[in-house]
Amino acid sequence: MTNDWIAHPIASAVLPTDTRPVTVIRSPSSARLSTIKRLIELAHYRDLLYTLTVHRIKVRYKQSILGMSWAIIQPVSMTIAFTAVFSLIARMPSGGRPYAVFAYVALLPWNFFSSSVTNATGGIVSHSQLITKVYFPREILPITYVLAALVDFLIASSVLAALMVFYRIPLNAQIVWVLPIILVLTAFSLSIALLFSATQVRVRDIGMAMPLLLQLWMLATPIVYPLSAVPERLRYVYMLNPLVAIVENFRRVILYASTPDFASLGTSALISVILLFASYFYFKRVEVTMADII
Amino acid sequence: MIDLEFDRVSKKYLIQQELNGGGTRFPLRGRLRKLTGNYGDFWALKDVSFQVTRGETLGIIGPNGAGKSTILKLLSKITAPTSGEITINGRLSALIEVGSGFHPELTGRENIYLSGSILGMGRREIAKKLDSIIEFAGVHQFVDTPVKRYSSGMYVRLGFSIAAHLQPDILLLDEVLAVGDVYFQAKCYDRIMNLKDGGTTIVFISHDLNAVEFLCDRALLLDYGAVAGEGLPSDIISQYRLAANGAAAPGPLEDRSDGAPKPIQITRLTFHDCEEREVLQAVTGQPLIARVEFTASQPLRGLDFQIFYYSHDAKLHCQFSTSLGCEPTDIDRGEGTVQFWCAELGLQPGIYYADATIKRRADGKEIDWQYRSAILRVEPGKRVSGNFYAPHQWRITQPKEAAAGAILYERECEGQLTTDAIHICHEDSTRGKGTIGLE
Repeated sequence: MTNDWIAHPIASAVLPTDTRPVTVIRSPSSARLSTIKRLIELAHYRDLLYTLTVHRIKVRYKQSILGMSWAIIQPVSMTIAFTAVFSLIARMPSGGRPYAVFAYVALLPWNFFSSSVTNATGGIVSHSQLITKVYFPREILPITYVLAALVDFLIASSVLAALMVFYRIPLNAQIVWVLPIILVLTAFSLSIALLFSATQVRVRDIGMAMPLLLQLWMLATPIVYPLSAVPERLRYVYMLNPLVAIVENFRRVILYASTPDFASLGTSALISVILLFASYFYFKRVEVTMADII
Repeated sequence: MIDLEFDRVSKKYLIQQELNGGGTRFPLRGRLRKLTGNYGDFWALKDVSFQVTRGETLGIIGPNGAGKSTILKLLSKITAPTSGEITINGRLSALIEVGSGFHPELTGRENIYLSGSILGMGRREIAKKLDSIIEFAGVHQFVDTPVKRYSSGMYVRLGFSIAAHLQPDILLLDEVLAVGDVYFQAKCYDRIMNLKDGGTTIVFISHDLNAVEFLCDRALLLDYGAVAGEGLPSDIISQYRLAANGAAAPGPLEDRSDGAPKPIQITRLTFHDCEEREVLQAVTGQPLIARVEFTASQPLRGLDFQIFYYSHDAKLHCQFSTSLGCEPTDIDRGEGTVQFWCAELGLQPGIYYADATIKRRADGKEIDWQYRSAILRVEPGKRVSGNFYAPHQWRITQPKEAAAGAILYERECEGQLTTDAIHICHEDSTRGKGTIGLE
């Protein structure tokens, strides 16, 4: 070994007094930080958020031959299987559109939700090494999983475009409604990701229950069947699941080129926003002791 | 200017108590109860207050479980205090265990961005320092290789290099100095001294007392979550060492021999400097006097007195003895003192425990053996490498070209390592010879 690197000097600079930030740390009960202050703090860490998200995406497909195409293979295979089972065998109605595209368009938002929640739930516990050593706003971890899932969602969307061209399904201006729907979907996914990841730190049962929960949740969402197949008298209960309105409206504006159902979409948006605030508040309360109980 | 202040800070941890019985019949109920209550309280810190002024280096020492790591965690906002208030004036960074935050699948370059942003650097800042970080770590060739292919040395160097490029106003140092090879440690010290000189306030939490003494301006001793002492590092380290051994001072001696009444007994072992003042500390290469006081209940013949010096790992380092090349001593009834003079102490800096013994030379049996009678702290004096300082003298001889021809220079030093005492006396240079000698 040479000694070259020992002699290497690093420039250092200590801030003058007037520009120094002053931090006061108090007990969590006497120092309730406002949500706005917390969001400002989060904004300070946007570089970490960006870097972690990019690496999340890179790492997932490292040392795999098919790489990023896994983001497409997964929903495509599911669509093929669903089409085989529900179209060839069970003859499920698909609202006048080919079943493959009918299922695929619903699987896109569902997979986004399902992978962000699954990955985020274990996300904090799997970073316990970091949590007990460095401070950063912990919500960054679940957020990066949601953002990484969003990227997969966009990649998988290219197949949808191809299917639409193949089946000659026309598009019109209603397609712009896709953006607010994705926004609501992201808000809802994030709120569940925050809620579950924070709970998983205390009780690991959440992680155990996750596959079962997601399977049931998927059946309770109009993915393999249309909303119209749900009996009218059960609709009110059924619609309590915010994903119903999200998935159904997503399908509606893309496949049927019609306006979204504003009543159901608005309700989902309201539920998502309220849940997001509640989950964030809960997450921040758990965050204080996260390093102690992880 | 106070950069960092702890104001009556306490931290309580909840310890889960395992419930005895009942757990098998209603496992869920037991678990739920465990989650909702039935915790034991543990105060990791209780009413701890201290301040660190700008540019100061504070060392925090104490036994395991004294609350050192809790202070570190509170300062770096990893966990929150239960009560009290911490004020931090400036940007604070912790030089934590290097390499945490590395992802094995990512390349060195990608990990610099990842780890750097976890430590609080912006992307632009990292981009600016990237070359310097790579050069400092000496991983130039491998910067685009996944770090899982790195040797552990490269891994550690890269991790430290990133952390070393932080520019905090206040730096938290954990045991990071304890890892890595000698080059790496030298690098660590170098960077820390560099930051210290640049005016960075440093809090250093360590079990390495020599490092604390070397780096810190002031030290804080923690015990059971409370401040047990605060002051000069050397004083606090002595206090910690003495407390750790349960001996407040070289006072009442612990008896290691059998219980029978002894004809002669050691009552005290003390150390003195050359002005006969009692001391707890000595300096490498400086004189030391050790004094053994005894009481004899009857006259005794053929005795040897000895002092043994052990380091904390119970290794025997040296010995003072009356037996070396001398006839054994005879003792009358009554009190007496044996005094050992050491002109130049050979022990290297550190903490030593001394045993005092009285032995009968005829059968080699110990009449009295006082185990761990005293603690001697040896401070750095003459800085030499190796296990001990050996008193020595030196002389240089070298033929040297001069205007008038070859002159033989001779320098020597006796007793002193300093060259101040050397006087130069030239003989007539026309005769082609000269000497430089000691006067």
